[in-house]
Amino acid sequence: MAANNGGDKGTRNLVIVMVSFIVVVGVVFSLISNRSSTTAAVPASVSADDGYGIVLNPNTKPTIDVYVDYQCPACRAFEIINGGYLNEVIAQNKAKVVFHPMTFIGPESILAANAAACAADENEFMAMNLALFQDQSAEENSGKWQGDALLNIGKSIGINSAKFETCIKDGSYVNWTGNVATATAKADVNGTPTIFVNGKELDRSKENNEYGDPVKFRAALAAGGVK
Amino acid sequence: MGDKFKVAQPWLTLFARLILGGVLLAAGALKIGNLQKSAMAVRAYELLPVSLANFLGYTLPWVEIGVGLLLITGALVRISGLIGAITMLAFIIAISQAWARGLSIDCGCFGGGGAINPEDTKYLSEIIRDIGLLMLGIYLYFYPKGRFSLDK
Repeated sequence: MAANNGGDKGTRNLVIVMVSFIVVVGVVFSLISNRSSTTAAVPASVSADDGYGIVLNPNTKPTIDVYVDYQCPACRAFEIINGGYLNEVIAQNKAKVVFHPMTFIGPESILAANAAACAADENEFMAMNLALFQDQSAEENSGKWQGDALLNIGKSIGINSAKFETCIKDGSYVNWTGNVATATAKADVNGTPTIFVNGKELDRSKENNEYGDPVKFRAALAAGGVK
Repeated sequence: MGDKFKVAQPWLTLFARLILGGVLLAAGALKIGNLQKSAMAVRAYELLPVSLANFLGYTLPWVEIGVGLLLITGALVRISGLIGAITMLAFIIAISQAWARGLSIDCGCFGGGGAINPEDTKYLSEIIRDIGLLMLGIYLYFYPKGRFSLDK
């Protein structure tokens, strides 16, 4: 091969054709699989107009959008620091809160988001949201949330319905998580956690920002009209 | 220099092909498993309109794989080297502007990407690496003929 310094022309053309084929098929597949699915089953509390997020207090103003991934440690920290106040806001109907469970960390984020959506159908979304963060593994996609783990988390917060069990086992809302991801991409969310108050993003790049400081978080919500 | 370069040139071309091609192939392969993150990485540069950034995030990994395979096998070396050089130049510009504007992002070169803590940014080393790869791409454009190549 080194002697004639090259292969024959047929092999070369074959390689070019095959490589082009791989690229074209890959591109088409990627574009199709990252489009929103109109046939995906969605939880009752989900609104396509709100980026396929899970909507709590749909008729209240202002609107708070919460983008988290259940495997993201910073989201867990946010939940510990500000989750209590956010719960209060929701329970007292002070704002419309839309949760967008993102899944870019991988397969177990998809399972967790599915479980959160299943819990939403049982009106237990906030409890499940907290329970998932409390059960977060130190490692991404560690296997911790495989099998019956998520079903048991649901049971631990009092969800015992057969519907919930089917929802978890069938992964009823797995395709919906793809819709959330697509909407999130369009909304230009580039990290987690990300909070929007009335469409205005709380800046994560500053030091001592609202995400890590409960006083500032409250102030930001108040500035957005949460009384 | 002339004679020595004539002997070394085909081997340098092989070297450049394997390094640039290998890096591109790895970079693409590490991204296709998580295209959500790939798109997020492109958006985080805050350089392109969101729809175009997402399109690039979903498609660029496949182009990297394609160019990487062509370089490694030595088919269409001149064009592949040029495409490799152009992508590297684009990455250098994108990373530099992110650095200059004070964004805190991971370059997302080999998967990963998106917003990170300011102290975790590695802009200088990313740019130096990409300049090296840019040089290899330019070299391949001018000296595409090398050892163990499908191109004649």
